[in-house]
Amino acid sequence: MFLHYIDLGWRSLRRTPLVSFLMVLAIALGIGITMTSLSVYHMMSMDPIEHKSSRLFHPQLQTMDDGEDTWSEDNLPYQLTYQDAKNLAEAPFPQYKAAMLRTGFTVHMDNSEIRPFIQNTRVTHSDFFTLFDLSFIYGSAWTQEQADAASPVAVISEELNQKLFGGENSVGRQINLDDTSFRIVGVIAPWQTHMKFYDVNNGAFNSQESIYIPFSLIAAMDINTWGNSNGWKFENIRSMKDKRQSEIFWLQFWVQLEDEAAVSQYGDYLMSYMAEQQNFGRFNREQLEYGLRDVNAWLDYRNVVSEDNEVLVALSFMFLAVCLANILGLLLAKFMRRAPEVGVRRALGASKRQVFLQHIIEVSMLGLIGGLMGIGIAQLGLWGVRLTQEYYSPLATMDLTMLLSAPVIAISACVIAGLYPAWLVCRTTPATYLKTQ
Amino acid sequence: MLIMKNVSKVYQTEMVQTHALRDFDLEVKEGEFIAVTGPSGSGKTTFLNIAGMLEPYTSGEYLLDDVNVGGLSDNQRADLRNQKIGFIFQGFNLIPDLNLYENVEVPLRYRGIRAAERKKRIESCLEQVGLGSRAKHLPQQLSGGQQQRVAIARALAGEPRFLLADEPTGNLDSLMARQVMELLEQINRDGATIVMVTHDPELARRAPRNIQIVDGQVADLTLYQGVAGQTDRQVVGG
Repeated sequence: MFLHYIDLGWRSLRRTPLVSFLMVLAIALGIGITMTSLSVYHMMSMDPIEHKSSRLFHPQLQTMDDGEDTWSEDNLPYQLTYQDAKNLAEAPFPQYKAAMLRTGFTVHMDNSEIRPFIQNTRVTHSDFFTLFDLSFIYGSAWTQEQADAASPVAVISEELNQKLFGGENSVGRQINLDDTSFRIVGVIAPWQTHMKFYDVNNGAFNSQESIYIPFSLIAAMDINTWGNSNGWKFENIRSMKDKRQSEIFWLQFWVQLEDEAAVSQYGDYLMSYMAEQQNFGRFNREQLEYGLRDVNAWLDYRNVVSEDNEVLVALSFMFLAVCLANILGLLLAKFMRRAPEVGVRRALGASKRQVFLQHIIEVSMLGLIGGLMGIGIAQLGLWGVRLTQEYYSPLATMDLTMLLSAPVIAISACVIAGLYPAWLVCRTTPATYLKTQ
Repeated sequence: MLIMKNVSKVYQTEMVQTHALRDFDLEVKEGEFIAVTGPSGSGKTTFLNIAGMLEPYTSGEYLLDDVNVGGLSDNQRADLRNQKIGFIFQGFNLIPDLNLYENVEVPLRYRGIRAAERKKRIESCLEQVGLGSRAKHLPQQLSGGQQQRVAIARALAGEPRFLLADEPTGNLDSLMARQVMELLEQINRDGATIVMVTHDPELARRAPRNIQIVDGQVADLTLYQGVAGQTDRQVVGG
């Protein structure tokens, strides 16, 4: 009977081609607009490192003196001072931890074939690659000895390796970053996420860096950040050394904590660290305070997906609702015109339930066709979004979840719109129409 | 087969109550062919609709094959209607998008009959009404008489024991009306019970039993014997 209802639905759609087209167009537009905004929202709010996001934590320390304010919701600084980041990174606990900052260099090669270009660079500890599950195509991260000696070594991305070395194994080759020659020790495979979740300061959806160099080079090369630096009191900063010894926040820090016990233990450690630092005249506070959020809590805390996006999704769903209201009106008119036929079917043995089902299947088909067309419109919409800013390129796409969701949402929406007309037509008294046919 | 006791049907609007049937009593025996006549607005069609369970009655009792129709749910009434009752309407009521084959198939699908069995029955019924070669035609490609024959084939396909015909020849010329009447008589001879509402006194006279409805009540019974081979039928009034 299900196939028969599909056949009847198809005939019905063909019988009134203009009305059917208008209804399909309405649902396709509604779904197209909704899926465009929903896809961007979905990509933005996706867990960037699903398999271990609950085990990666970003610590925060309340360094500011009592009475000082910053703009975070809990008044904790988003970043760490250099001295705290360095101290925490050198602590024996936990096993995997990395301090980091974003900087940049002019990249140039010894040959003249490749023109110099500016490249974002991340300065970090070698645990960075383990923390974020980055795999190596060639080589590996730098060794502890190389880090301790502040050796000019670098890990580069597969994309940069392609650009500079045509994708060959470049381990052992040299690249020049500003005035310093760096030896390549590893090439990493592309990141599996579109989000730069480990440093959301200057846009969480910018591309990840293509060059990674040891943290020890910050002091050795007087590297400054290309990201945010936030101070909370007057300090006379005349050199990078002054900045490193200052209370300015300019570094990010991530640790891997395996379970709740480890989280609790690390919290105790942070408290004891701050108490210890008070002996050096820092952390002038009555109440010591720290923050420790996992990846998703961190992204939520940093408002990576802004309320604007949520409002946009809500608005697009309202647009879908308007489309559905139009469809409801058209369905009502169409189904009531068919009441005499329904009367005949009821007289010939169709139950109300069968009549209702027949009409619901028809509207489901409408939803399916509209949903598929809506995917096409959404692709156009996403293409338009990608054209507006390169920033949106990795976000303005439909993944498999969204592709499958589109027809499901369309069918569900159409069924909701069709419930009342189908209910109304199945309630008609057959005798009313049999004489008037 | 059919027993109605004190059946009433009241149509209620804000201002007016209209009694379409009042204390309507009737018993129809298995195998009867009854013509129901009466002036316009007397309640003939209302009686037919209630008999066919197409609309509910206000009070009284209606038994169809000893089943109290008043106690049935919508689904049960639909099943019973599908199993036991065939309809023939004055306006044919064929579904315009479906060809003849598909029109005749409609009640069989609701009964859940398998495709092979459906095909056998449909072809047989279309043959019986002389339209076997037109199975793929659409209703609008046929004359009125042919359309009514399709409607009869549709009613017959379900092999109903009870055929309700509402002015089946009302839209046909006299020649076609006679052909349709002969077909109904044949169906009755094959065993189906037929209740036919008609305005045509000539057609009514051909039915072995006549009922006249006036103001929603059975007013008169007339037995016409010796017509259409029904001479041995016993007449039961209601």
